[in-house]
Formats: sequence, structure tokens, C-alpha cells
Amino acid sequence: MSEILLDVQHLSHMFRLSKHAAIQAVDDVSFQIKKGEIFGLVGESGSGKSTVARCIMNVFKPTAGKILYHGINVCDPKEFRRNHKMLEATRQIIFQDSASSLNRRMTVADIIAEPMQIHRIKPPRGSYRAEGAFQLYYVGMDDSYLDKYPAELSGGQRQRVAIARALSMEPELLVADEPVASLDVSIQAQIINLFKHCNRDHGHTILFIAHDLSMVEYLCDRVGVMYRGKLVELAPTGELYANPQHPYTRALLSAIPIPDPIAERNRPKTEFDELSFDKDGVFTEMAPGHFVLRKENNR
Amino acid sequence: MEALLKIENLSVGIKSPAGKVQAVRDVSFELHPGEVLAIVGESGCGKSMLCKAIMKLLPKSGKIEGGRILANGIDITNYSEKDMRKLRGKLFSFVFQDPMSALNPTIPIGQQIAEAILVHEPKLPKEQVYNRVISLMELVGIRQPHERYKLYPYNFSGGMRQRSVMAIALASNPKILLADEPTTALDVTIQAQILDLLKEIQVKLGTATILVSHDLGVVARCADRVAIMYAGKIVEIGTAEEIYYDPRHPYTWGLMQSLPALNKGRDELKTIPGMPPSLVNPPAHDAFAYRNEYALEMDYHQQPPMFQITDTHYAATWLLDPRAPKVAPPIGGKANV
Amino acid sequence: MRKNPFAYYGKKLLVFLVSVFILSVAVFYISRLAPGDPLMSYYGERTEKMSVAEKNAAREKLGLNDPIHIQYIRWVENAAKGDFGISFQYKQDVMEVIGSRIGNTLLLGGIGFVLTFAGALLLGVLCAWFEDKWIDKILCKVGTLLSCIPEFWLSLMLILVFAVTLHWLPSSGAYDVGHQNDTLNRIVHLILPMTVVVLQHLWYYAYMIRNKLLEETRADYVLLGKSKGLSKKEIMFKHCLRNILPSYISIMAISVPHVVGGTYIVETVFSYPGIGALSYESARFHDYNLLMVLCMMTGVLVILCNLIGGIINEKIDPRIKANEVVETSEVSKV
Repeated sequence: MSEILLDVQHLSHMFRLSKHAAIQAVDDVSFQIKKGEIFGLVGESGSGKSTVARCIMNVFKPTAGKILYHGINVCDPKEFRRNHKMLEATRQIIFQDSASSLNRRMTVADIIAEPMQIHRIKPPRGSYRAEGAFQLYYVGMDDSYLDKYPAELSGGQRQRVAIARALSMEPELLVADEPVASLDVSIQAQIINLFKHCNRDHGHTILFIAHDLSMVEYLCDRVGVMYRGKLVELAPTGELYANPQHPYTRALLSAIPIPDPIAERNRPKTEFDELSFDKDGVFTEMAPGHFVLRKENNR
Repeated sequence: MEALLKIENLSVGIKSPAGKVQAVRDVSFELHPGEVLAIVGESGCGKSMLCKAIMKLLPKSGKIEGGRILANGIDITNYSEKDMRKLRGKLFSFVFQDPMSALNPTIPIGQQIAEAILVHEPKLPKEQVYNRVISLMELVGIRQPHERYKLYPYNFSGGMRQRSVMAIALASNPKILLADEPTTALDVTIQAQILDLLKEIQVKLGTATILVSHDLGVVARCADRVAIMYAGKIVEIGTAEEIYYDPRHPYTWGLMQSLPALNKGRDELKTIPGMPPSLVNPPAHDAFAYRNEYALEMDYHQQPPMFQITDTHYAATWLLDPRAPKVAPPIGGKANV
Repeated sequence: MRKNPFAYYGKKLLVFLVSVFILSVAVFYISRLAPGDPLMSYYGERTEKMSVAEKNAAREKLGLNDPIHIQYIRWVENAAKGDFGISFQYKQDVMEVIGSRIGNTLLLGGIGFVLTFAGALLLGVLCAWFEDKWIDKILCKVGTLLSCIPEFWLSLMLILVFAVTLHWLPSSGAYDVGHQNDTLNRIVHLILPMTVVVLQHLWYYAYMIRNKLLEETRADYVLLGKSKGLSKKEIMFKHCLRNILPSYISIMAISVPHVVGGTYIVETVFSYPGIGALSYESARFHDYNLLMVLCMMTGVLVILCNLIGGIINEKIDPRIKANEVVETSEVSKV
């Protein structure tokens, strides 16, 4: 359990807009994901959480910092080329918008089998179609969906297909970029259960990205909170919910609605004053495994 | 209390390549002055179409096929487009899910708000329009309104855009605000602010609000009454307290149970199995029967009527029939949080 | 965040100059690669009777014996002084040959362009307004039909009907002999070629307007407009049309050469003394100097209109500028 699968060290990424302007999307972010763990990364839109995921998946090249996967620095072109087969096969990503990330002109069966065909993997269950049917069954759909096109599926079903495609490669690391954000709450719960199942029964390590803290509590072992490109707090889930330290984490927690009208109406919401945000704090360990971005002289 | 808006047996059909979608089926409810009525259901249950039908903003393929819409006791179901125009903005207005696409990207925000004022008062002098716009922007919490008057939608953050859309909606002091998932596209911290704003406006101006959402949790903060919609029908309606503390319909139970806040300590989230049925040929019996773990034999044969539980609380499930076996609700009571 | 206007326009100017240079080299080389004898255009029939020595002397005189790059450099040097050489065929200064004709083409192409622009806007809005009503359906069908007819065939049919059969309109030329200064006579001669020019291009742009407008009317802000209580007219003109105009104007700017250049075939069929007929001849008879200038004129027009189209688009549509500004809070200066 304690073996580190992914080690992100001082990752920074800057988007250049023009010669004179740039957006610091990710600013000196470090965290580790252990093998078999579900790690949550939470933040509002524009906080840089998706950029982190894309750097990990080699979509973007970070401006600074290192990402070690199995001890391989994936940001180094040489090391990446030497291991690219392994890297491409064992890391898979699932996007928020499955309507656009699935090819509209391919059937579900083709979509699920495509990664295996690209990597020339012999389907363990005889044929690609049987493999597709198996993966579909695994994500809770029957084989009548094999010949359907993405447009014929509902949002939840499309997300299941996207998960099935990622799982067909038996990945070690599954990066899920806001996989439930565009789904109804009732469907979100189904997908969350599916992720939990993947992790518990098959040992997939999952980096789960979300914009609120409500679902994360049930799924993740540890959670990192991002704000404006900075990791502001990182703690085991229970510790974070019981003892949030950074004001932004508190605001996020208080934003989770509770389905109790009387209590909810009278509950004050913690507002986060963005002007008070101090970018230049130091990431300090408050309690074992609980890190917070704070000013040093506050100690 | 006289109902501000009364919907009687409203049905809406939408033509599609697969056949006619019965998006809204025989829906009735009342909206009283100054209350917030939340309509909650999964996507595709017809809640958006219901709102659009009320304002007669249905797409060309959509049509009101039956029932009546009464505003202040006057039947507006057969109003012409010209008559409807006089009501829109004045009697009711709309707040959209995605504030970016709801604003015209090439016109400054202030002008778009001013336009909404001028529609109903075309002869208002310029300074007065400007002052009204500024006070509307202040009302919805846009700071530095004078500077922001001339800015374009892309200069605004998501929350600011939604506030602008609300300013437009409130420009002519409507009696009813229809908000279709107004917070779904926003960040969580902004979501709470917008919901509080909705409540604040309702208290300040006495505007009645229909708030549409897919999330029972979100709605708890500001709803006075809640209607649960499933497959084009309202399956349960009652005050917020009744729905959250004493839900009666198995679908409401399912929606509540899938909320993460009610699953603390559980290993797996409770879910409603399966998918909502297609509304092209909806089943003649209870549409929820297939997904309902409490389904009775009766559910597969006949549509349940609305059973009355209290003066304000109704639910359409055969479980409430006197002949039905008693089922203890898996959820409810104040103890659940 | 405003950009330095000098840098902005300087960059555009640089793009323009480089494009013009590449164009001139390409035209110069390609025209000389084409098979055929350029002496034919200068000496006509006499060429066949000339001996090899005579031909060589003639080539030397016209500067055709040097390597192509020397010829090019000489051409550029002369062109810089405003001397574009003489037309082999007309034995006149190239600019004079063009000058005597360009007015006619500008008249035909220019008025044709304006009519196309306005007509397309009108038809497009009309079709969008009556979406899927009979008038929309009929206009769309007629448009498809007319835009499928080749220009020369349409021209011939019009000549056949209005000139040959009905004798209402003249079939060729820019004016009748002796009526050079008679405006009415010139207008009468313009009607048929103009009709062809406009009919050929009108539908494409009308469709574009119609579809862009309809796309806009599906946007959420139209629904918000309706829920404000705006009428269809206000939404269509104040919101939708306003939003598509920038892209329409920039597309029209880019299509200036397309429409103006489209007069070439029409001019040939109607024997209309314009640039179009001239370019056709110059290419056919290897009249290098003339061809060069005509190609450069057309090319510069295309490049210039593209640049102007881009600039207009950026100036009118705030969304394009938006890409530069984003949200100021997140942008840091580097």
C-alpha cells in the first residue's frame, strides 16, 4: 500500500497568451499518490486541477517541475520515449464531457476495443467484441448496447462507456477529470460507486478530480484542494472534513448543501475573500499527513 | 390565498425523429405570490419544458397539447405571441442555466439590462433608464455598477454573468421568476451565493419563484415548496418540510438517498437502479415501477392517482392506497442529518 | 493590454509585402514556363516567316534571352520606377492598355458587388424570417437552381432571350459606337452582364446569411430576449443580425476579388471591354508584361481584401479581442 506510484514534484505550468501575458495555471504543486489509493483533487474552475491531470498524462509539458511515475520522469522526452509503450498502456484518462470525448461515428464496441487494437493487445476473452461485452457488463450495461452510437446513450451511459474503454487496458493509474460534473446527482452516485468498485476489487489507482467536495468524501482516501494554481491543503479525507485549516477549504465545505431545509436555511455560509488569498505561503505539515498553505510567521 | 399561477392538467408534446416525446404529462400545480417552488427531477423528466411551456417559449417542434395555464385567474393558454410578449418580463421572466450563452456576447451588459426595461417602458428618459439599470445591478450584487455598465459578458466571471441575467429578468418587476438550473453551471461557492440572492430577492421584492434543479440538496436552502417530477409527471408535491422530513413517494426516497450527505459512514452510495423511461411512448402504468424496489403489482397495471396526505402534501404512488401494505420509508424524519 | 498600433499594422504590412513578393516571383516564373512563343504576340503572323537569326535578334531586343532570374530582377527594377514595360500585343505601355479598360471592369464588378452584397443580405434575412414557410422554400430552390447554371450558359441564354428574340437589350460591348458619353446607353449595356454577375454570387451569400441567422436564433440569448418581452423584429435585427454582420462584412471583404474577378468570363461572353477579356488574351498570347501586371493587380487585391477583412473582423467583434484580455485577475505580466 505504501509504494508511491505517482510523484508530482514542484509542478508548474504557464499558459502563454501573448508575448506579454501569461496565466500561471499551476504553481509549484507537489503531491504523491500511493499505489491502490484514490486521490481527490478539488478546486473551482480555473484552479488548475485539470491542467495538473493533463500534465500527468503528457498532454501538456510542464514549465517546471517533475512528474515521476514508477520512478520514470514522464516530463523528460528521452525517458518518455524509452517507456512510452508502458506509459500509454498503464495510464488512462476519463474526461468530463463524454459526449465530445467519444467518437460520434464509432459504435460502443469499437470505442471500447480501440485502445487494445492500437496497442495490439490480444483480447483475453477471444474477440474484441467479447472483450467489449465483458467491459460493458463490468460497468453495468448489457451487450445490447454494443452496436449503439454515443448519441443514442444518456449522459450516464456515455460516461460508463468512457470508463469501460479506460478499463479495457487494465490501467494502473486512472485519471478521472470531473467525470460526474455534468451528470444528475442520482446518476453521479452510480458512477461514484463504479469507481469505488474498480479501486477495491481491481486495485486501480485513481486520481479523481472534482469541483466540489460532496462526492469526494465517499470515494477518496486523501484529498488535495487547489485554488488559483496552488495546492492550498492536502489531508486524509476524514481529517480534511473534520479539521479543515485553509479558509478556502472551509468555504468549499460549507458550500456542500445539506438536504434539511430548516438546518440549511439557518446555516451561515463561509465566504472566501479572494483578496485575502496569500499565494506566497509555505506548504506546512500541521498534523501527520495534513499539509496547509500558510504564512510561515503564523507558526 | 389566490394563486398567482395555476397550471391545470398541462401536457406538452415535442416532435422528434423518434416520434412524439410526451415531455410534460398532465401536470397541475399552483404558485402563490412570494413563494419559492422548487421542481426537482432527473434530466429528461420534462422540468425545463414545463417552464418553457408556461412562458410559451417552446421550440418550434413543441406544442401545448392539453390543459390550461391561468395567470391571476386569466386563461393565457391560447394567448397570441403578441399578447404573450406583453406578459413576458412583466408577469414572468426566465433565468437560464448557462449565463454565458444567455447573454448576447457583442452587447455591453448595461445595455442588455436597459433593453429589458425599455421593452415595457419605451418612453422612459435616458437618465432614468440608466439609474434603474444601476440600481438593478446593485440589487443583484454587482459591485461597481457604473464601471461595469459598459463591460461585455466575457469580462465577467460566471457568477457575475448569472447575476446580470437575474438583473435582466428582474428589470420590469415580474411577479414570477422561472429559474432553470440557475446554479448548475457555476462553481460551488458561487452556487450558494446565487441561491441566497434568489431568496433575498424573493424577500425584498415578493417575487414568486419556480426553481428547477436536479439536486434536492441544492434546493433545500431556499425552497418553500418542492415538487418532484418523474417522466413528465409530478409524482410528489408538498412543503419543503414535508418533502424532506416526510417523503412518501419511492422516487423521492431514491433521490434523497443518493445524496452524499445522507450516506455518511456508508461504504457505498445508495442509488436508483436503471434509467428514466423514454417519453416517446411512456408506459400507461406507473413509469417508475421498473426502478422501484417497493413496486406493487398495481404499479404495473394502472397509473396511481395523486393521493392527498395533508392539505399541502400530495403523492402519486399506490403505496398510499388504503389497500396497500404498509411500508416504512427508508428515509425521513429530522434524524436523517 | 492595448497593443502598440505601429507594431500591429507594421506586422500586417510585412505580411502584405512578403505575400506580394512571393506572388510576383511565382507569376513571373510560371508564365514563362507555359509552352508557346511570346514572339507571336508581338509580331503576330510574321513570326512564322522569320528566320532563326531574326527570331534570336527579336528575342534579344525584347530581353527574352537572359536567364529568368535576370529578367525578373530587371522587371523589378523597372517596376520600382513605375515602368512596367510595353504590351507585346498592343505595342503600348502596359498601364495605358489597362487604364483604358479598367473603368469598365470596376463599373461592372463594383456595382455588381454592391448589388450582390445588399441583395444577399435582403434575401438572407427574408428567408430566415420566414423559415420553412413557402417563400423561404421557393427562394432556396430557385437559388440552388440558378447557382448550378454555368455563367457562360446563363449569359448565352440571356442574350438569346433579351437581345436576339426580344431585342430589348444589346448583346455585347460597353456602349454603342458614337455613344461613348451617353450614360443611359452605358447602363443599358451593363444590364445583362450585371444580371449574370449578381445572380451567380447572390445565392451563396444569401444562404450564408440565412443559415448564420438561423443558427443565431437557436442561441440561448434569443430565448432570454423573448423572455424579456422583445418582439421577433427586435431580436432579429438588434441581436442576431448585429452578431452576424461582422463576419458577413469580413467575408464580403475577402470575396471582393471573387466577385470582381468573376466578371472575367462574363466580359468574354458579352465582349465587354474590361480587364477580364484582357487577361484572357494576355495569357493566351504570352503577353508577359501585361499578364504580369494583371496578375499582380488581382493578387494584390486578394491579399489586401483578406487583410482588410481580418482587421474589420477584429475591430467590430469584441469576442475576438476577448482572447487577448481573458480575465485580468489571472493574467500576470511576464
